[in-house]
Amino acid sequence: MREVVTIQVGSYANFIGSHFWNFQDELLGLAEDPQSNEVFKSHHLDMDVLYRSGETPQGILTYTPRLVSVDFQGSLGSMSSRGTLYNDIPPVQSDVVTWTGNISTHATERRTKNLFLQSLYEEEQKRLGMENGVNGGKNDSEGEIQDKDIVECLQDGVQNWTDFSKVHYHPRSLYELTGLGMDIGEFESYGIGRDAFSEALRGEEINERLRFFMEECDHIQGIQFMVDDSGGFSGVAAEFLENIVDEYTNVPMLLYTVRSPGSYINLTSRKQTISHSLHDAISFAKLSSLCKLIVPIGLPSPSKTSRFLSIKDEKPYYSSAIYASALHSISLPFRMEPLGPSAESLYISGAVDINGVIQMLAGQARHNSVAILDVAMPAPPLSGEQVEQSLLGNLQTLTPGTADNVEDLQAVESMTVHGAIGSGGQQASVSEVKDRVQDAYENALARPMFSHLSVARCPLPIPLPFPSIFGNLVSQNGELLSSPISGSRSRGSLDVHSIPMAARLRSSAAVLPFLEKRLGNLRRFGIERVALGTEIVRSWGFGQEEVEDIGETLSKMVTTLDPRSQVSSDSD
Amino acid sequence: MSLQVLNPNAEVLNKSAALHMSINAAKGLQDVLKSNLGPKGTIKMLVGGAGDIKLTKDGNTLLKEMQIKNPTANLIARTAVAQDDISGDGTTSTVIFIGELMKQAERYIDEGMHPRVLVDGFEIAKRATLQFLDKFKTPVVMGDEPDKEILKMVARTTLRTKLYEALADQLTDIVVNAVLCIRKPEEGIDLFMVEIMHMRHKFDVDTRLVEGLVLDHGSRHPDMKRRAENCYILTCNVSLEYEKSEINAGFFYSNAEQREAMVAAERRSVDERVKKIIDLKNKVCLGNENNFVVINQKGIDPPSLDLLARAGIIALRRAKKRNMERLVLACGGEAVNSVGDITPDSLGWAGLVYEHVLGEEKYTFVENVKNPCSCTILIKGPNDHTIAQIKDAVRDGLRAVKNTIEDESVVLGAGAFEVAARQYLINEVKRSVQGRAQLGVEAFADALLVVPKTLAENSGLDTQDVIISLTGEHDRGNVVGLNQHTGEPIDPQMEGIFDNYSVKRQIINSGPVIASQLLLVDEFIRAGHNMRKPN
Ligand SMILES: Nc1ncnc2c1ncn2[C@@H]1O[C@H](COP(=O)(O)OP(=O)(O)OP(=O)(O)O)[C@@H](O)[C@H]1O
Ligand SMILES: [Mg+2]
Repeated sequence: MREVVTIQVGSYANFIGSHFWNFQDELLGLAEDPQSNEVFKSHHLDMDVLYRSGETPQGILTYTPRLVSVDFQGSLGSMSSRGTLYNDIPPVQSDVVTWTGNISTHATERRTKNLFLQSLYEEEQKRLGMENGVNGGKNDSEGEIQDKDIVECLQDGVQNWTDFSKVHYHPRSLYELTGLGMDIGEFESYGIGRDAFSEALRGEEINERLRFFMEECDHIQGIQFMVDDSGGFSGVAAEFLENIVDEYTNVPMLLYTVRSPGSYINLTSRKQTISHSLHDAISFAKLSSLCKLIVPIGLPSPSKTSRFLSIKDEKPYYSSAIYASALHSISLPFRMEPLGPSAESLYISGAVDINGVIQMLAGQARHNSVAILDVAMPAPPLSGEQVEQSLLGNLQTLTPGTADNVEDLQAVESMTVHGAIGSGGQQASVSEVKDRVQDAYENALARPMFSHLSVARCPLPIPLPFPSIFGNLVSQNGELLSSPISGSRSRGSLDVHSIPMAARLRSSAAVLPFLEKRLGNLRRFGIERVALGTEIVRSWGFGQEEVEDIGETLSKMVTTLDPRSQVSSDSD
Repeated sequence: MSLQVLNPNAEVLNKSAALHMSINAAKGLQDVLKSNLGPKGTIKMLVGGAGDIKLTKDGNTLLKEMQIKNPTANLIARTAVAQDDISGDGTTSTVIFIGELMKQAERYIDEGMHPRVLVDGFEIAKRATLQFLDKFKTPVVMGDEPDKEILKMVARTTLRTKLYEALADQLTDIVVNAVLCIRKPEEGIDLFMVEIMHMRHKFDVDTRLVEGLVLDHGSRHPDMKRRAENCYILTCNVSLEYEKSEINAGFFYSNAEQREAMVAAERRSVDERVKKIIDLKNKVCLGNENNFVVINQKGIDPPSLDLLARAGIIALRRAKKRNMERLVLACGGEAVNSVGDITPDSLGWAGLVYEHVLGEEKYTFVENVKNPCSCTILIKGPNDHTIAQIKDAVRDGLRAVKNTIEDESVVLGAGAFEVAARQYLINEVKRSVQGRAQLGVEAFADALLVVPKTLAENSGLDTQDVIISLTGEHDRGNVVGLNQHTGEPIDPQMEGIFDNYSVKRQIINSGPVIASQLLLVDEFIRAGHNMRKPN
């Protein structure tokens, strides 16, 4: 078993993470549920890769994510930063054992648990009660919170990522940035974030959290790192990464930079526009220089992604669900149980570790370290006439600002397909998926130079707190229908229980516009002599030389993908 | 907890309104913090929205917990927090002093005085007070053998403002001994060489000084000893795990043998490093009963652990970076980055190494070291907020001792300095000042009294009476402070109530700077802009 440690930094990263861990939690539950489908009971995924076993001081065994999450003070809503598992009896005033003088209590208004969290809590109490032999589990129906009401309360009521989380976190997992003396709106630039990390021992504390999870790994496979780099958290992440590179030099790192639709607000003042453009350029260049593979994700308007989904762009709860689903799919090969060299499994195929993916995409002849993420959600059925086009054609890119239909002879791809539906609406077998995908590539107009495929039988389970983002063309097991189901237009966890997924990481010249935009903005606002933005970058703590180095980094990334661009940049 | 948001948009207000807003914000912040001050202050229990608890008697911690939106309050808070970063103490005093300067200023401004005049007076008073402080301070000689008694008194004074007496007194010796342990002649004191470690323990509140190190992890092999005496310590930063190198990803091999050969070669080089360590162990432990402990900053994988365990070696992985330095200071030897050239000289020594397990938490104690120049303060407490509060107090105590050694002087506490300085300003300085700036000096002098006044108020005493009796004594030439129990004057020297010189100095310095900035509204608004990052 090769452990993966997950890091989530910033608000939207934690929204995505919350969905991501809900999927894992759902898989854990389904594997133990005697009534669940056999693909869930024997999914042949090793959950220990992502989870750790522990024990509370009271001796209760725990199983929690190997996770360090960093977010803003107050972002945890009604959840305690210590999580829920390791808590002892809540203290009362007389518990102050260090002071005999006066005590005054200042309580912030208690954040009430929403219906969903209440129901989780009640369920837990009931289970504990049963374990202790009290209350033989009667009066079930009365006062019980209905699933329908839970789903409804979440659709409009989610404010924090904790509002829809059903996962128990370890007390060292959730770290809040406190004492910044500003609110999240002001925490909006690279420089502010970088300072926040280094001041007041915060960086040291965060590093210690990570060390706790790293120390217990016998043979770590890598770190998956998500950062919401739209504001100050990019600076936080860059500082954190720098330490990681220093301390865990050879641990492979897969970095996702994530953006919520809300981060693409229309800016009114010119100064703001410049500031944002510079932030994007610097943040991306800095972060990419600290890892071997970076995957920028987050569209301005994810509602346009797929006609099978119905998403409210303004709600991070909705859009983050898509990205989380894709990241889940991408992470499956990291935890496929290893087989003997020649053994074939009926459940999984194409295991590859984080280092393998990085080498595949970024380590070959062309050292392009930026990958594009694509997803087909749900994946189309692998039967019928036009399978070939439909599978690859249904993949939508989640990386912003990329080009369509780019011919790139050196493209490299790594795809995961899981839970695919084959002929007759049945679960497709692993070999069927492999054959079909191969057919698809063979018939495709542009073929990548190299592609890798991972397959799992286990589909994406849809947990109760998943948002209602499916349109009425998606059936209960995620089949795409030709005619709409009657009833409500958006369907959620009560109607759709699992879906087939395909997700793909791609190293392709299609990412050039994304890079060129950042390079162009940096040159225009940050480097050219009378640049309006020089004052801004200086206030973030960058000298002219450093900005030029950053420009150099970006320009190298561009020339890696487009050798001709050298000519054009020399001319100015 | 949040302060009333007045109106953060200062630019739109006219000058006078803006000024009054600043004054109110400064007073508001003073109100929140003043009950903290001194050994009779109130401890605050902050309960967060999710039921999380924070316990604090420290101005600094409180300011960090409050989400302050008002720009004036924010400026003051940041100044106070900066005070803490620099000298480790005096945040509460800073905040109430600034608040009082603003309050005094308000009186004069309401009578029509221009803030500029007050600010000039503040500046004169500040300089005079700093000069006075240099005369007033009590020098202490810090030769090779520092005066331990005075260090203890300073530490005790600080600790008793944060913890109840018996607990504070227990910690006094600990913090003094900790600082003396890490102190090196002719060098600045690096408090990071004191590790502060905690354990959650159901019933215990206990703190002790470990001369040596406590690590928050243990060995990762079932066959390694949990307790060993007479140990050689190898402190290293060497990868003892099989890592995937660049070329190692599976697909790019033309055949499986090639791949396996690569893997085997990589494994062999790890094994060789382990072997080097084992060789050294065999060399130094030959013919004796001594033990061998490896503490590594990098990883150690199970095959390496196996080899080490079989050779009777205890091994810890992923040690904290800072502990590499501490270990060497505690045990001797050197921190090595490669095992290529390790010799017996690289090794440190500890009389005892043992593991302690609490649930899933493991601790390794490295004790009985010879000439420790690094040590650990181990705090036990029943819950996080108790531990955190003790930890804060310990940090304050350590800083107080360090400051005393570096300042080579202390200042009489319990309000004695403030009253003395006030009398000096009124009786000597004010007279020498021309014109209306006199009033600024007077305002400053009166503002200094906020410290003894607040100490009295927090003890439930009548502030008027106290001030009259204290100033009276001072005029008679008796340098006295306030007895918090009786309200009577006391001699702080006799009682051993001493504050840090550098802390006092900084309070006197930064208070009027901020107050002046707030009073000169135009400049303040500009300053306010600079405080915020450009957007
Ligand atoms: N036994 C005592 N009797 C009277 N006054 C005392 C005594 N001990 C300390 N003091 C006074 O208490 C003040 C320090 O209080 P306290 O430590 O609570 O606040 P602070 O140092 O200003 O801020 P911080 O919250 O950062 O510690 C000093 O003025 C000191 O002289
Ligand atoms: Mg103090």
